[in-house]
Amino acid sequence: MKNLILALILALTLGGCASKSYVKVVDNSVEKDVSIEDIKERVNRDSGLKELQVMGENKTDEYLKLRYRVVWFDKEGFEIESIGSKWAELPVYKNAHFTIHVVSPSSKAVDYRLFIDR
Amino acid sequence: MKRAVTITMSALLAAGLMSGCVDKTERIDMHNDKGDQVMGLDYRDFDEAASKAIQSMLKSGALDKKNGDRYVLAISRVTNDTMQHIDTDQLIKKIRVELLRSGKVVVTTAVSANGAEDAMSMQARELRGNDEFNQNTVQKKGTLVAPDMSLSGKILQRNIAMDDGKQQVEYYFMLTLTEIKTGLAWWEGESVIGKRGSGKSVSW
Repeated sequence: MKNLILALILALTLGGCASKSYVKVVDNSVEKDVSIEDIKERVNRDSGLKELQVMGENKTDEYLKLRYRVVWFDKEGFEIESIGSKWAELPVYKNAHFTIHVVSPSSKAVDYRLFIDR
Repeated sequence: MKRAVTITMSALLAAGLMSGCVDKTERIDMHNDKGDQVMGLDYRDFDEAASKAIQSMLKSGALDKKNGDRYVLAISRVTNDTMQHIDTDQLIKKIRVELLRSGKVVVTTAVSANGAEDAMSMQARELRGNDEFNQNTVQKKGTLVAPDMSLSGKILQRNIAMDDGKQQVEYYFMLTLTEIKTGLAWWEGESVIGKRGSGKSVSW
C-alpha cells in the first residue's frame, strides 16, 4: 500500500514536470504523406544551447515543398522570441528521408514546438 | 448646355466605377505572407538569409567562449554588390538581434568599419574637463571595450538571361566572422536565393 502511494505521488510529480515539447504536422493535406520517425534532443556542452533533430520521411512519389518553424519556451513556459519562429523552407524529395536540425536561440530554451506545414 | 451636362455626368459615372476597381491598400501579414514573389530582395529573403546564418553560427561553436562569457563583436564592411538600393543593415540587424538574444555576443557601437555607429560613446567623453558637467559622471579613460570578433560580408547579385526569355536572378549572401586577435575566420557562411521570372521584370 505504501509503495502504491509512493508510486502515485511520483507519477503525479513527474507528470507535472513532463516536457511540453512536440513536433506536429499542421497541414491535413500532408499529414498522411509525411511521417515523423525520430526526434533527438541534446544540450550542447560547449554552447549550452539545446539542439533538436527531427527525422522524417516523405512517403509519396512526389517532391514536396514543405516548411517548418520552431517556437521555443523557457522553463517557466514563456515563449522566447526568435527569428526561427518564422517559417523556413523544407524541401523533401520523393520517397526520401528528411532531417530538420535546429539550435535553440538561447540557453534559456528548454521546450519547443516544431510545426510542419505545406 | 445639354452636351456639357452629359459629359459631366459621364465623367462622374466613370470615376465612380473606377474607384470601385482600385485595389485597396492592405497590411501584409508578415507571419504568413502568401503574396507573390518579387524579383528583387524583400523582407522574406532577408529573414531567410539571416536565419540560416544564425543557425550556422550557433551550430559551429565559433561563438562559444571558453569561460562562458560573451564575445564583443564589431560590424565590419558588408558590401551591397547588387543592383538594388538596399541597406545591408536589413540583414545585419536581424543577425545582431538574434546573437544578442543568444547570450553569446554583444555588439559594440563604438567601433565599426564605417566609424562609430553611435558617436555618443566618444562625444560623451569630450565632456571631460567641462566644468558644466559633474566630472564623476563623465566616463573615465580606458572603459570602452574593444571588439574580439568582426562580422563582414557581401550580398552579391547575378542576372542570367534564359533561352525562353525569362530571367534568373541569384542572390548570394556571404558572411565571415573573424577573430580580430589572429585575423582568422572562425566561421564563414553562404546562402543563395534564386528567383526566376519574366525577362521584363526589374530587380533594382
